[in-house]
Amino acid sequence: MPIYFSEKEVVLPGQLLSDDSRRAGEGTYVMDGKVYASTVGAATIRDGKVEVITFKGPYRPAAGDMVIGVVSDIKPIGAEVDLGGRITALLKIRNVRELTSLNLKIGDVVYAKVASSGLRGVFLELNDQFKKINEGVLLMMTPTKVPRLIGKRGSMISMLKKVTGCNIMVGTNGLVVVNGPSPAKEFAAISAIRLIEREAHSQGLTDKVLAHVSSLVGGEAKHGADGKA
Amino acid sequence: MEQTARPKLIDENGRRLDGRGPTDLRPLRIEVSVLEKSDGSAYVELGKTKVFAAVYGPKEAHPKHLSLPDRAILNCRYHMTSFSTDERKTLGMTRREVELSKVIREALESVVFLEEFPRSAIDVFIEVVQADGGTRTAGLTAASLALADAGIPMRELIAAVAVGKVDGRIVLDLSDVEDKYGEADMPVGIAPRSNTIVLLQLNGKMTKDEFRQGLMLAQMGIQKIYQAQCEALRKKYESSMREA
Repeated sequence: MPIYFSEKEVVLPGQLLSDDSRRAGEGTYVMDGKVYASTVGAATIRDGKVEVITFKGPYRPAAGDMVIGVVSDIKPIGAEVDLGGRITALLKIRNVRELTSLNLKIGDVVYAKVASSGLRGVFLELNDQFKKINEGVLLMMTPTKVPRLIGKRGSMISMLKKVTGCNIMVGTNGLVVVNGPSPAKEFAAISAIRLIEREAHSQGLTDKVLAHVSSLVGGEAKHGADGKA
Repeated sequence: MEQTARPKLIDENGRRLDGRGPTDLRPLRIEVSVLEKSDGSAYVELGKTKVFAAVYGPKEAHPKHLSLPDRAILNCRYHMTSFSTDERKTLGMTRREVELSKVIREALESVVFLEEFPRSAIDVFIEVVQADGGTRTAGLTAASLALADAGIPMRELIAAVAVGKVDGRIVLDLSDVEDKYGEADMPVGIAPRSNTIVLLQLNGKMTKDEFRQGLMLAQMGIQKIYQAQCEALRKKYESSMREA
């Protein structure tokens, strides 16, 4: 089964990738039994599927995603949550009492699971994973680069948490909340996230980020010592 | 009454006013990701014709009743800046601009996977900064690049160019003067991979044979533009990968 690209090659919409329609993955489409790229991105093979990893693009909600959003409206049927300015989702409730017990206000930041996404809109689930986020710095990154921030089995994010001492919550939709013990440590974490976003396609990114964060956190320690003296 | 003499558009050697042969494109320059605030953007320059395109979205459709439950709506605005022409163009959308917005929108709708974004809207803005013929085709070329740059899934890119009949000859990529004084002008937009025509208009008179010849010539020009489009996109994204 022939493949018409080299690994991590930049492909363009409409570029022929494979003759085997069963291998069509993310960022591709099938026409006349052939697989073509549907977005600009780096072509790769993952689990036998031909995929195009996009450089930038909109967030497409899928059931099971954990997202961060800002409450934009309170309605009798639930709370409307803005998932990054492009999509609003509805946090469904069973009865009004449930909503009042949550004590949600417009502008509150919440962490929730996407229950369903389809023709009727996007719905969030009110389960035990649901969380109201009360403190931290809210920032937005390109949604397509979120997997890189998390890393293989969460390697990148756990490293960041450990080195900076910050609690970092990542929404699949590209919103991130950083909550740390000091502004300097929060700054180090944010700066690392921006670095990941900028250099998402490079090799050995974890080491680079580690070095970057260590220098920042180390600098902060020295700065703190100076402050005391 | 003052009469302007019709200029001789093709000389004895078969050269056009700007020195081109009948099958030559004007100097072409294409860039992507030129506007910072948009989700995707592109700039196309074909001789003195200069066009920007910007894409915003997909985002929620406003007003909400216009949104479709099964796919996104594509809003397209082709607009000429008031300083783009010889005589100042009045502000706002003229009849011509409204029509071109529609044909460009329909051309783009044929390649974008709108069904991937139900209930949302994708905005495409095409701004002609300087007009010297072939602005709708340059606009369509730029808009398809801007959509690709925004990461919106699409079947393929679109390239477009105008052909026409000037002094009895079929020529590629008409300039403003050739369009005004020539016998026919035919803008053609093609999705090159599948070779499907997504935009075709004809102003003037052409015989069946001339039409065929013109279409062939347009396909040839479109291949060149398509190469330049691919090159511009690859250059942009390969350089961002190399930096990393």
